[in-house]
Amino acid sequence: MIWLTWRQFRAQAITAAAALAVFAIVLAATASDLSGMYGSSGLLTCHGDACSGLASTFLSNLASGGGGFLIPGSAYAIMYFLSVLVILIAPAITGVFWGAPLIARELEAGTFRLTWNQSITRTRWLTVKLTLIGVAAMAVTEAFSLIQAWWAAPIGKAVGLGGGSSIFSETRFGWFVFPTHGITPLGYAAFGFALGVTAGLVIRRAIPAMAVTLAIFAAVQFITPLWIRPQLFPTSHTVAAIAAAGANVSLRANPKLAVTASVVPGQPGAWIISSEGVNAAGQPASTMPAACEQAVSDTLGSHRGPPTAGPGSAALNNCVASHGIRVAESYQPASHYWPLQWSETGMFLALALALAGYCFWRLNRRRS
Amino acid sequence: MTAVIETEELGKQYRGRWALAGCTLSIPAGHVVGLVGPNGAGKTTLLNLATGELAPSAGTVEVLGNRPAAGPAQLARVGYLAQDAPLYAGLPVADHLRLGAHLNPGWDADLARRRVERLGLDPKQKAGTLSGGQRAQLALTLAVAKRPELLILDEPVASLDPLARREFLQDLMESVAEQEVSVVLSSHLISDLERACDYVIVLVGSRVRVAGPVDDLLAAHHLLSGPRRDPASLPAGLQVIAASHTDVQSTLLVRASGPVLDPAWAVSEVGLEDLVLAYMRQAARPASRNDHRHLEVRK
Repeated sequence: MIWLTWRQFRAQAITAAAALAVFAIVLAATASDLSGMYGSSGLLTCHGDACSGLASTFLSNLASGGGGFLIPGSAYAIMYFLSVLVILIAPAITGVFWGAPLIARELEAGTFRLTWNQSITRTRWLTVKLTLIGVAAMAVTEAFSLIQAWWAAPIGKAVGLGGGSSIFSETRFGWFVFPTHGITPLGYAAFGFALGVTAGLVIRRAIPAMAVTLAIFAAVQFITPLWIRPQLFPTSHTVAAIAAAGANVSLRANPKLAVTASVVPGQPGAWIISSEGVNAAGQPASTMPAACEQAVSDTLGSHRGPPTAGPGSAALNNCVASHGIRVAESYQPASHYWPLQWSETGMFLALALALAGYCFWRLNRRRS
Repeated sequence: MTAVIETEELGKQYRGRWALAGCTLSIPAGHVVGLVGPNGAGKTTLLNLATGELAPSAGTVEVLGNRPAAGPAQLARVGYLAQDAPLYAGLPVADHLRLGAHLNPGWDADLARRRVERLGLDPKQKAGTLSGGQRAQLALTLAVAKRPELLILDEPVASLDPLARREFLQDLMESVAEQEVSVVLSSHLISDLERACDYVIVLVGSRVRVAGPVDDLLAAHHLLSGPRRDPASLPAGLQVIAASHTDVQSTLLVRASGPVLDPAWAVSEVGLEDLVLAYMRQAARPASRNDHRHLEVRK
């Protein structure tokens, strides 16, 4: 059975290995240039607050083409974006192209009648197929992730030091960074593959099963950071001064007040899930203090756009702060990074196992 | 001796329609069994129940004394050639044999190799480019080289041209003679089976109409012709399967428990094809079931 699985999977395995090789070569060829730029940025020897400024300079050079020796700097922004994208969609690709046709193709072509009438049970057939190809899908996705993490280490360090510039501003809790680094790619790959196999078994047609797999997987990838990841671990709460939280005051549908924090004081690297303005009593403050109207119109200036003012100004921030408004933040501290990684990975591995269990049950009960 | 296939009130329902109903059969070992019936009669359903691809909706089915596809050992005892001979189009002939070798503990590599050589198949040719006859032959090779006790073939020659049909059946008979394997094969054409089978099951409209060894069936059925008379006036022990009348003459196909002695009738033997067709025609006319009345002798 292992032989047959390999024989049928050979072409896909070679394709995946080739893709992985190209990915590794492109990143390896530029890795020394990237770390050289990091080395000459002064970030290796900086101390304290100086670091965040240097980090921002380094990252903005990368983003806007300050340039390395080998290739224009802006190429790093493209490479960074594409490499993260590859890890993000690798589980969808393996789910769609390896998972969905796994059973559906056999049902479509009638070849299940050939294989299931050899001296081997359907349970064993599916066990070997799911294990070998599922592990391959997980290994490929994780390999992409590890290579990218090694290549992008200087960028990650600079962001960790407080730097940020356009595309290079996501911390490791970011929407694109969290599910593509650490161990989460393993969970997503296992889930995507099991989802594809299940869709193929239920729909019995490869092409519709592939489409359904892609749609569900994309939806899950979208929903997870919004509603699931913040709930995987209890959030911490704090109330801080606007300046200390690096918060910006803005208007949302006048006169509604919005306060958006960028850091949690004393909690470097924390993931801020939500923040809002509160008054001295700790109640949510949703209206702009009347005394700050002047600062608001200064901020808006002659801009006659929609009544939702964008970036706050220092004057507006200070005015709001002087009226006793502080910012309440709910966040996951940096120390929750690995617990969250394990929880999310475990959740998707459990989902994958549940889907696989359903496949075994259905294959034996419904008798195709 | 255990029956190769034993069913008891076996039925399979698809969305409220019975594809097979009330099927009670006991097929003894050592026969080449022809399962005959028109398209849609339930032949494939019966065979799929016997291979364990389907689970019954009613009744029971046992194959070689066990539940179908109960485990690897049971699977090894039954060879199955499905309709249209499914093969992996992208895999060459040699890889199909390797598949058989890897998945069957009792694989007879020598037999498989000899067959492929004799059939003139190129081991490197992909299965998708083989002709219909070659596909069927390769699929049969896979089924026989696992050395089963029972070989089930679902419409193996339906898609073949007449020459390929004859070659396939001849080849099948040779394999059967060599291996002492029991065979069940289905077809909607009796002519395919006449040469090959020594046991026949007629399945029409999801029900078994008649089943038994060919010799016994032929001995028990007679074609009677004589002056026109009402079939109802026949002596007891004669069951009319088919009747045709002209103004002066009646021709009846009857099943008799003993010899027909009435001198008014000219008695002749029935061919297998006529016999099977008569049962198919009878099944197609539901009202005619009432014809099997056993009335008293009227002199």
